[in-house]
Amino acid sequence: MFWWLRACLLRIYSTFTRRSTEIEIEEEFAFHLDMRTSEYIDSGLSAGEAERIAARRFGSLLRTSEAGREIRRGTALDRLVQDVRYGVRALLRERGFALLVATIMMLGIGANTAIFSVVYSALLRPLPYPRPQQLALIWSNLQKMGAPRAPATGAALQQIRDGCRVFEDVAGIWVGSGTFTGDQEPEQVKVALVSTNFFSVLGVKPSLGRDFNRQDESAGERSVILSNGIWRRRYGGDPNIVGKTVPADEGAFRVIGILPTDFALTFPPDSNVPSDIQAWTLFDRSVYTDSSTYYIRLLGRLRPAATIEQGQQEADSMAERLRSLFPDYRNENLQLQVVQLHRDVVSDIKPALVVLFFGAGLVLLICCFNVANLLLARANTRYREIALRVVLGASKWRVARQLMIESMLICCVGGGLGLGLGWAGLKLLMRIRPASLARVGRIDLDPVILVFVVVVSIGSGLLAGMAPVLETGRSNLIESLRESGRVSTGPSRNRMRRLLIAAEIALGFVLLIGSGLMIRSLMQLHTISPGFDPDHVLTFEISPRGWQSVERAAFVDQYEQRLLSLPGVESVGAISHLPFDDYPNWYSPYAPEGVAEDEKRNLLADYRATTPGYLQAIGARLLEGRGFSSMDLKSSRSVVIVDDVMANVTWPGQSALGKRLDIEQYLDGSFVHAWAEVVGVVAHIKSHSLLRPGRGQIYIPYQQSSREHLSFVVRTGGDPAMLAGQVRYELNQLDNTLALSKLRPMQEYVAMAMGPTRFIAILAGIFAALSLVLATVGVYGVVSYSVGQRKHEIGVRMALGASSADILRVVLMEGLALAVFGLAVGVAASLSLSGYLADLLFGVKPVDPLTYSIMAIAVAMAALVACWRPAHKAAAGRPMDALRQ
Amino acid sequence: MAKIDLMQGTLDMLILKTLTGGAMHGYAIARAIQERTDDALQLEEGTLYPALYRMERKGWIASKWGRSENNRKARYYRLTAPGRKQLNAESEAWISLSEAISKIMQTA
Repeated sequence: MFWWLRACLLRIYSTFTRRSTEIEIEEEFAFHLDMRTSEYIDSGLSAGEAERIAARRFGSLLRTSEAGREIRRGTALDRLVQDVRYGVRALLRERGFALLVATIMMLGIGANTAIFSVVYSALLRPLPYPRPQQLALIWSNLQKMGAPRAPATGAALQQIRDGCRVFEDVAGIWVGSGTFTGDQEPEQVKVALVSTNFFSVLGVKPSLGRDFNRQDESAGERSVILSNGIWRRRYGGDPNIVGKTVPADEGAFRVIGILPTDFALTFPPDSNVPSDIQAWTLFDRSVYTDSSTYYIRLLGRLRPAATIEQGQQEADSMAERLRSLFPDYRNENLQLQVVQLHRDVVSDIKPALVVLFFGAGLVLLICCFNVANLLLARANTRYREIALRVVLGASKWRVARQLMIESMLICCVGGGLGLGLGWAGLKLLMRIRPASLARVGRIDLDPVILVFVVVVSIGSGLLAGMAPVLETGRSNLIESLRESGRVSTGPSRNRMRRLLIAAEIALGFVLLIGSGLMIRSLMQLHTISPGFDPDHVLTFEISPRGWQSVERAAFVDQYEQRLLSLPGVESVGAISHLPFDDYPNWYSPYAPEGVAEDEKRNLLADYRATTPGYLQAIGARLLEGRGFSSMDLKSSRSVVIVDDVMANVTWPGQSALGKRLDIEQYLDGSFVHAWAEVVGVVAHIKSHSLLRPGRGQIYIPYQQSSREHLSFVVRTGGDPAMLAGQVRYELNQLDNTLALSKLRPMQEYVAMAMGPTRFIAILAGIFAALSLVLATVGVYGVVSYSVGQRKHEIGVRMALGASSADILRVVLMEGLALAVFGLAVGVAASLSLSGYLADLLFGVKPVDPLTYSIMAIAVAMAALVACWRPAHKAAAGRPMDALRQ
Repeated sequence: MAKIDLMQGTLDMLILKTLTGGAMHGYAIARAIQERTDDALQLEEGTLYPALYRMERKGWIASKWGRSENNRKARYYRLTAPGRKQLNAESEAWISLSEAISKIMQTA
């Protein structure tokens, strides 16, 4: 008892006295060496000779003292350095193995780095404004219309600004387009109209010049703040431009400020507020008394300590006030909805990113299992080495730690490579990212990403290293040392390897199902018709501003005639709101004839003004009646064409032809109401989303609603891109003050609309392919190992009369059993998880029998392929060879 | 116990046995084993010291600094009570094992 206590004390004592322990050991060795040397001198050797032989005899003094230090408990750091050095040596000895493992980890960590970079930039990184968590959007929920995220009127903005307490301030924004003119080529830009306080609410100051103030609202010239980009590009970065006027289509702008280089606005995709606004100017004062035009997006800043909930409470009382002030809001039973800006910006991309992050996590897990498996196999061949270390005085704990360190070392190398792969992957992601992800702004490798990679690498190292550590802990090392080189494996080690592989297959199956469902969705998306034919169509935008409606319409007509005369052009048309374009939507209520007064304003439709040629040029399908003609003039009777969605909602079971309804028209710069007759019905054209059903649409002849903003649609027999130069030339010939923008084939808009689905499908496909390959390699490894192990048994079987086919079957069955077990777990996991995918899918149910069967067959095939070689090898072996060994 | 590590156990046993004569320093232990086996067993220093430290940790032996025969500072190891018990157990096992082996070897 006493001795035991003393030993314990010694242990504790020496832990704290590393230096003295070391000195003691060295003194002891020095004494030993001296004694030995004098022994040799006594036997007749020279002093030098004696010293040399004694030293040699001592063996490696260093090694002995290392062992001594270990036993006497050296410091942790000391041993760690030793272990790492030892680990590096061990891995360098087996470069091929190290490279294989590092490559696998590279794939896993690379995939995660890329996805995490996106997740971090989009979901986790705060918006680049001061105290971004205090910024919130205030949406109008027009309940009867069914427009939960509607913009507000100017009058409402004024009321809210005046009455807010919990909100520090509330600003408004609307984005349209304008054209910079002057000596240079005219350039169409996105122009934001904002309230004076917009930048102060956002917390952004111009880097040059000043912010808007109240005087700017009443100044003769309109004040403008320019984005840094257009300032550098169009005005050569000239600082003296501040205070000067620049010419534009609607008269001159006085430049009062330039925004900082890194400024970008981040609003949600459905807000129609893009991030690349080039010019900022103020709302006209009259806007703040307008209580009938709903178009202003509201951005509020909460007081420092205020919560979103408190903001919502204030908005509720604000809504009550607005309902009491404005009859339209009362009719709509207006509610105001406060949503944190960041949350709103990412809300539509978040589910996809979460799913992808989860998928990348699964890939990493599969990589870890695969590496664990390889490390297990390697540990088997290293048993003698490990056992020797134990005999030489290393504790089991230290051996375990050594294995762990090697696993971590290799995973850190994989992590370093993965960082590179992640960087490359990120470049790919940026290329295929959907528009909604483009809004989150800069996505790059942040220091946070580096921390992530380090943590993931070490975590993977720990996870993968666990398998060999558990195994060596369980087995009898000394026993294996005695077996003089014959590698021994109990059934337990193989069981662990099988378990790992089955888990790999199960996880891989989950990924396969996920990717299968996404790919099926993408295929479905490709098969559905958007309601028009996007092939062979060129589109571009111009903004013929500053004219009377009639003049503008005449100009458009003239230009269309010129385009139509170009070789190869089949049809030409123009529309105010091109499908899938990001220009602010035009949607308003309408009322069919004969509807009671209190039922009015409950129906909402997307309005589009089109020239007569549009429907034909875009390839719309006319279901009933006629298209517009050149006879539908401003002065003639008001007519509309409606789509089938709108017709079915409004007049279910009846023909819409000849029906009359109260609509909104846009004439000479203002919206007016008019009664119009339905002259045609077209098939619905998808305009906002390919996935979700859209609102009904009302088409108005351009003559009767000449919006300033117009997209042209040119259908040709050949490649639409070839026409680009000619349409530009024709425009210049007609009017060289007009700018042409967004020149692109219509196909691009459709591709953009498929963006999110394609994005997820591509990534999920990569993950699934990766996991299938890894699982196949894993099965191959386990089966060929087990065949090697069972050589003797197989030899006996063959000697006893089993045929090659029998052996082949036995081995294949072994692999197949793994696959079936993994599949069973994988199917269960997929069934319970695929519900989370439901929102991302299109035209396919989360539990899709076809996807499940195809993927199950794919996994089984992969397992068979993996077993084929080892099985053949086993079957081809001569039984006597196996028995003799 | 003996079955797991014969090598290590045997060395431990030899050292413990050597120490029954009284406290010794490492060099003397090595010499003693070498002499008593007529140079048949040459103890590697790389094996001896780890074994000593290990046994000290297990509490079988204890050490303290002392003066050597030529008046130098040396670390002396001596047998403890648990060490003695361990030695007895190992000797018994060893004797019965070697007797058993001898019987087979003689009949062969």
